[in-house]
Amino acid sequence: MSDRIEGVKKLFTSKSARVETNKGESYYLDLFERCQTRLSDLRASQPANRLDFSEVLKDNSIDRRDFMKWVSATTAMLMLPPMFSPLVAEAAELMNRAPVIWLELQDCAGNSEALLRSDGPKIDEIVLDIISLEYHETLQAAAGFQAEKQLEDAMATFKGKYLLFVEGSIPMGMNGQYGTIGASGETFHDHLMRVSKDAAAVVAVGACATFGGIPAAAPNPTHAVGVMDVVKGKPIVNIPACPANPTNMVGVVMHYVLTGQLPELDSLLRPKFAFGYRIHDNCERRAHFDAGEYVEEWGDKGAQNNFCLYKMGCKGPMTFNNCSIVRYNEAVNWPIGVGRGCIGCSEPDFWDKYAYERPMANAKIKAPAGGVEKSVDEFGLGLLTAAGIGIGIHAIASAVGGKKDDGGEA
Amino acid sequence: MIKLIEKIEGEAKLNFSFKDNKIDDVNVDFMSTRHIEDILKGKSPLDALVINPRVCGICGHAHLIATVRALEDCYDAIEISNKAKIIRELTLNFELIQNHFKWFYLTIFPLFGLKQNVMKAVTPSQLMAKAIALFGGQYPHTSYAIVGGVVCEITEMDIIKLQHYIDETIKFFENNVLDVDIQMFQNCDNVTKVMSQRGDLVEILKLIEINGWLDYGKSYDRFIVFGESSYFTKGKSIKTRVTNNLFLEDIKESEATTSFAKSVHYHGKYYEVGPLSRAMVKKTALIKDAHRKYADSIFTRILARVCEISQLLLHTELLIKELDISEPSYIKPKSDISSLNASGFSAVEAARGTLIHKVIIENSVIKSYEIITPTQWNLCGGVKDSKGVSQKAMIGLENIEIAELVFKSFDVCSVCTTH
Repeated sequence: MSDRIEGVKKLFTSKSARVETNKGESYYLDLFERCQTRLSDLRASQPANRLDFSEVLKDNSIDRRDFMKWVSATTAMLMLPPMFSPLVAEAAELMNRAPVIWLELQDCAGNSEALLRSDGPKIDEIVLDIISLEYHETLQAAAGFQAEKQLEDAMATFKGKYLLFVEGSIPMGMNGQYGTIGASGETFHDHLMRVSKDAAAVVAVGACATFGGIPAAAPNPTHAVGVMDVVKGKPIVNIPACPANPTNMVGVVMHYVLTGQLPELDSLLRPKFAFGYRIHDNCERRAHFDAGEYVEEWGDKGAQNNFCLYKMGCKGPMTFNNCSIVRYNEAVNWPIGVGRGCIGCSEPDFWDKYAYERPMANAKIKAPAGGVEKSVDEFGLGLLTAAGIGIGIHAIASAVGGKKDDGGEA
Repeated sequence: MIKLIEKIEGEAKLNFSFKDNKIDDVNVDFMSTRHIEDILKGKSPLDALVINPRVCGICGHAHLIATVRALEDCYDAIEISNKAKIIRELTLNFELIQNHFKWFYLTIFPLFGLKQNVMKAVTPSQLMAKAIALFGGQYPHTSYAIVGGVVCEITEMDIIKLQHYIDETIKFFENNVLDVDIQMFQNCDNVTKVMSQRGDLVEILKLIEINGWLDYGKSYDRFIVFGESSYFTKGKSIKTRVTNNLFLEDIKESEATTSFAKSVHYHGKYYEVGPLSRAMVKKTALIKDAHRKYADSIFTRILARVCEISQLLLHTELLIKELDISEPSYIKPKSDISSLNASGFSAVEAARGTLIHKVIIENSVIKSYEIITPTQWNLCGGVKDSKGVSQKAMIGLENIEIAELVFKSFDVCSVCTTH
């Protein structure tokens, strides 16, 4: 029993949610200066398109006040002190100087969908409308040879400067023939290699592009892999989840425009500003977990009262993402909000390891704890930790504890 | 032989051949695949609820509803509360509506030389995505429907929010798509009356008239609808003759040699699916009028899809009134699904037409899973002497630009098709 108590204690005092939010004054002063230089360089450069940010805001009847609210929120999300707000505002206005090429490989278009059409606060939407999306297969009007030429042109004009966003996994089976593109029948693999060669950095968006996603689920019929498995020698950012949260995509672009650099990443190449949080630590149902109040069965009293979904297979305790903070669809809701639980879609091998219908207590995975870095780097996802046991024990203990009301055990 | 590569929702390749300056033949190929049906094999039946919406980021919700219905069909009898049924239908309707808006402004607009209007596509589809998220948690890729009901426990507050999203969408429709009261549009049975109004829809329809394109896009004039709901009726229409008896076992899929997509036919014949088919089977007055005048041309097809937006919005308002939130969201099935050895079948109306799922459960796992998507009905190529629906519509046209318009009037969802 004392082991159990220790386990539970460790869980609740662990530093798993710790993100270094204050890096000291000299760090920020230095960064501030670098950002200023970066932005003035950008301002002097030729915009890739002529869209005027303030005009677009006006056209969509968004006033300065709304915009500044968005700026504050974005600054905070990027974990920068308030003094950076004016720079973030300026960076938003300079978004049309950031050339972006977007490729869709073995995908469902769900991230494009999330990003450009059905999700994201209005201003995020506009910022993304303004970024110079030099090439996007779904969105652009051009098709066929015209589109291919557009891609060639964008690659040549912005050589070494463009951010390459990739959606979808890369099928390696059958010599790549499970996915080809264009009239020439170039495989997704060759296409990605060709376009990534001259990119400033590659941003893999969604579960498929980062870690293979659903296509890579056992038996992985097409031998699907993620971008980082094939692209080498390039800075890579992973924005996993299914779909990836548009806010995080905007965050990465904003950070790049603002600083000229990629944001700080964890060992799985995920930006810490978004994936430095564990779903469980900021979950709106966390209090019920702590109180040992669980949904035991769909539609029960617990479900009706928004209790913790851990026993129904929620993977929030071992999933790193900011869904519990930013939510989805203009923060209207998120999966745990409607009572379906987290499926762990921002973690590697999410399907095979995390498959939803396996309650976590029975799954062969353990909750990482003890700091983000530590959990991911030192322990590894599959390893046993004290806190992992702790959670399992806690759930069992509470089920017993729940009998109290019936006049059972005290 | 001239090749054209389409990049709409994923990719399809069209190979045209010309004879006497007219399109003589066209092959439609889909060039990627994920083998989702193989991934499902051997997994727990309930896993399909989470995997299948991810077949498609564009109409994934239809896949969720098709999955849950196919799984429930494995039971001899299963009780679903009226509330859960209505909620599922609502979210499915919202997905249809937002797809229609996006297709109209992102795909159709540029084909008429108009600016692709991203913000006009985004505004209403965001509202509809929020409406789905209220019940589903997120859009795309929600898995909130489960065997026995739905997981969400909604409150009056959610209904108020929902009403607001719908009102805003209706307002958007009236301010942009067609400048009349939406109720009047609903009751309108005459195309001429619509053409005397203003709005983006009329602008497009007038361009079809002015450009002399009224004859384009005609195919077999055969329509089929398998999905049923409180709004859509099952049936087929052949040259305006409607019959409602359909037999699912008569649907057949056949492999194609060059493409990853299989073509699909009913009783050995190709049928068009989608909003136009739904309107023909349901005998919507306005669309019947357009069909009388312009048959199954792009004019009628585009009008039918836009018209469905307003119909579904108004129907949705009625559905909400029937919602009794005191009913249970979920009723536990009498037996666990993994204890069944059974097969299940479902047909759902997705934005682009009938979507069909078939599942066989054996020894607690999925033995086989088959998905037939709307794009397979409309766009997959037939063999030499029997052309697919869109092939038939493109043959005889003078140039690729017009062929592209005709092709896109059916709308492509290749990510779905290459599941």
